Amino acid sequence: MKTFNILSCLLAVVVMGFSACDKKEEPTTYGTMDLTFDNRVGEDEVQLVSDSDTAFVYTNAMGQVFNLTKLGYYISRVELKTTDGKVYADEVTTGPMDEDVKGFYHVQEDKINTQIVTIANVPSGQYNEVTFTLGVEAEYVQQGATGGVLDPANGGWLWNWDAGYIGWAMEGRSPSSPKAAGPNNADNSVKLHIGGWKDIAGNSMMVNNVKRITLTFPSSVEVADDLSPRAHIHMDVLKAIDGHHMMDFSTTNGVHNPAAGVDVAHNLEGAFEVHHVHQ
Amino acid sequence: MLLFSKRTTTKPLTLFGLVVLVMLGGQSCTKDNTITPNVYEFQKPAHFPEPTYTFNNNELTEAGFKLGKKIFFDPILSRDSSISCGTCHSQATAFADQQLHGISVGIDNRLGIRNALPLFNLAFYKEFFWDGGVTHLDFVPLNAIASPFEMDEDIVVVLQKMRNSGEYTELFEEAFGTSTINTGLLMDALAQYMNRMVSANSKYDQFLDKKVTLTTQEQRGLQLFNANCESCHSGVLFTNQGYHNNGIDVVFPDSGRALISANPADIGKFRVPSLRNIDRTAPYMHSAKFFTLEDVLAHYASGVQSSATLDSRLIQPDGTLGIALSQQEQEDIIAFLKTLTDFEFINDPLFFQE
Repeated sequence: MKTFNILSCLLAVVVMGFSACDKKEEPTTYGTMDLTFDNRVGEDEVQLVSDSDTAFVYTNAMGQVFNLTKLGYYISRVELKTTDGKVYADEVTTGPMDEDVKGFYHVQEDKINTQIVTIANVPSGQYNEVTFTLGVEAEYVQQGATGGVLDPANGGWLWNWDAGYIGWAMEGRSPSSPKAAGPNNADNSVKLHIGGWKDIAGNSMMVNNVKRITLTFPSSVEVADDLSPRAHIHMDVLKAIDGHHMMDFSTTNGVHNPAAGVDVAHNLEGAFEVHHVHQ
Repeated sequence: MLLFSKRTTTKPLTLFGLVVLVMLGGQSCTKDNTITPNVYEFQKPAHFPEPTYTFNNNELTEAGFKLGKKIFFDPILSRDSSISCGTCHSQATAFADQQLHGISVGIDNRLGIRNALPLFNLAFYKEFFWDGGVTHLDFVPLNAIASPFEMDEDIVVVLQKMRNSGEYTELFEEAFGTSTINTGLLMDALAQYMNRMVSANSKYDQFLDKKVTLTTQEQRGLQLFNANCESCHSGVLFTNQGYHNNGIDVVFPDSGRALISANPADIGKFRVPSLRNIDRTAPYMHSAKFFTLEDVLAHYASGVQSSATLDSRLIQPDGTLGIALSQQEQEDIIAFLKTLTDFEFINDPLFFQE
C-alpha cells in the first residue's frame, strides 16, 4: 500500500548495520507519548451546543458574542524531538483501507477519544519538543483515495469540488452574523472551514493553508519502555479568530474556500501551545 | 516499470497454454502460438507522455477494471437509483454526454451548470473538470455522486446500498482481496475502469505512425491548426491543460477557474479541452454554447467577444478580435479535426456495459 517510510526503512537498515558492528551499545527501548488536545475559548473549556441554542457564552475581541456547534482539525506527520536534538517521526501512510491510513489524527470536540493522540514506538529518551502538521499536505492529497479518518464516508472532512481536506473548522452562531437560515445554515451561523494545500507558482491567491507547527514543552519528559508521558496541548479558538487578524462575524461568517481562509490559517500558527506536561 | 510494459506475464500464459493443449487433446498436432496481449493492463501509447496517475497505489487489473465497469453503469450510485455514470458519459460520444444534452441532465431531470466532459486519456491529466478543482482522478466521481443536480446521494448511503445488494462483496474480494466495500476501493475501481480509457488510435495517430496518409484538405487543416490552434490545444493530448477565456461570453455567471484559484484574473477562464474525438462530443464549450464544429470555428473567426480576461492570443495586432480564418480555412480545420476521432475506442467492446 501507500507507504512513505522507505527512507526510514533505509535508515533502520543503516542503523542496524552500525549496531551490528558496535556490540557494546545498549539495545534501544521504546515507549509511547500521548498528546492531549484540549480545546479552549480563552480561559474557558469548549462546550458545544445545538444549532437551536440561544445562549452565546463566548465573546471575541470585537465584543461579538458567539457559541460553538462544531470544532475540530487534522493533526498529521507528528515529530518528537529530544533535548539533544534527535527526532522521532511518527509513521505516515495513506491507502484505500482504514488500516493503510497511519499518522493522521482527526481531533474532534464532540468525540472525546479523538482528543488523545498516542504516538507509539518512541525511542526512549528525554523529549521537549513536538512538531506537527495542521491539515493534510499535498503529498498525501495527491495519493488519491484514502480510508480511515480521511474517508468522507467515515466522517472525514474532504472538500470534493476543490479536492483536499479541511484542516481546521469551527461552526457556531453569533447574533452579529447576518446569515439567514438556509438548507445548510441555521440563523446567524458562523462557519469557518480552513482548507487549501496548493502551492502554485505565479498565483499567490491559490493558497496553501496547511501549517507546520512546532511547540516547546515547558519542561522535558522522559519516554521509556515503562514511562508514557503526556503533553497537554491547548488550542485556543480566540487565538484562531483574534490573532494577527481579527475576525468580524458581521462580515466573516462563511469561509468555504482556501483564499478566504488565509487569515484564520495565519492565526492558527499561534493558536496551539503545550500548556503543561505529565511525566 | 512493469506497469507500462507491453509484455504480458508469462506464468498465466504457460498455464493457459497447458489448458489449451489439454483441450485440444489429440485433435491436432499444431498449436496457435499467438500471445494475446493482456487488454486489462494499462499501456502508454508510445507517442504519449508519461501518465500522471498514481498507478503504484492502484494498478490496473482485470477484476478491478470489471468491478469499476459494473459500478460505472450502476444507478445505485444515485439517490433514487435512476442515474449512473454512464447516463451522462456515453461511449458512442467518447464518454461525453449524448449530443442532445447541452447542459447535462441529472436526477429528477435537474439541470446542471456545465456540459459533461468526455472521458479518455484521464491517466495523463493533472487536473479535472472545467475549473480544474480536482487534482486526482480518484476524487472525481465523488463530485457527481454528491452533486444535488447529478446523483444527489450521500457516499455513506451508496456504500450501504452496495453492501446490501449482495452483488458486490464477491467482486470486491476478487478485485482487492477483501470483502470490505469502502470509499477508497470504490474510487480505486472506478479509476481503473477510467484509466483504461486510452484513446490513441485515430486516423491522425495512424498518420503519425505512417500507416495512412491524410487527404489534401486534412493536410491543409493540419497546417492551419498548427499555426492557429496548437498553442492551447497542444501536444499529443491536444490540450495544454491550461485555463483560458476564449471569448464566448462578456459576463460570466459561472466564473470558471476563478472558483478554484480565487484570482479575479481567472474569471471566465475554463479548461482547454482535448480535441481528440471532438467530432463526437458536441455540443461544445463549458456552457454548451455551440452545437456544431462549424459554429465553433465561426466563433473563433468572427464571434469572439471582449472581456477583461480574454486570452491575448485572440486579439490580433490591429486589435481585431479572433483568429483570421476564411470560410475555406475553417472547413479545412474541421476536416483535420475529424481525423482525431478514434473509432476503435468508441466501439471497443472492452468498455461495453455487461
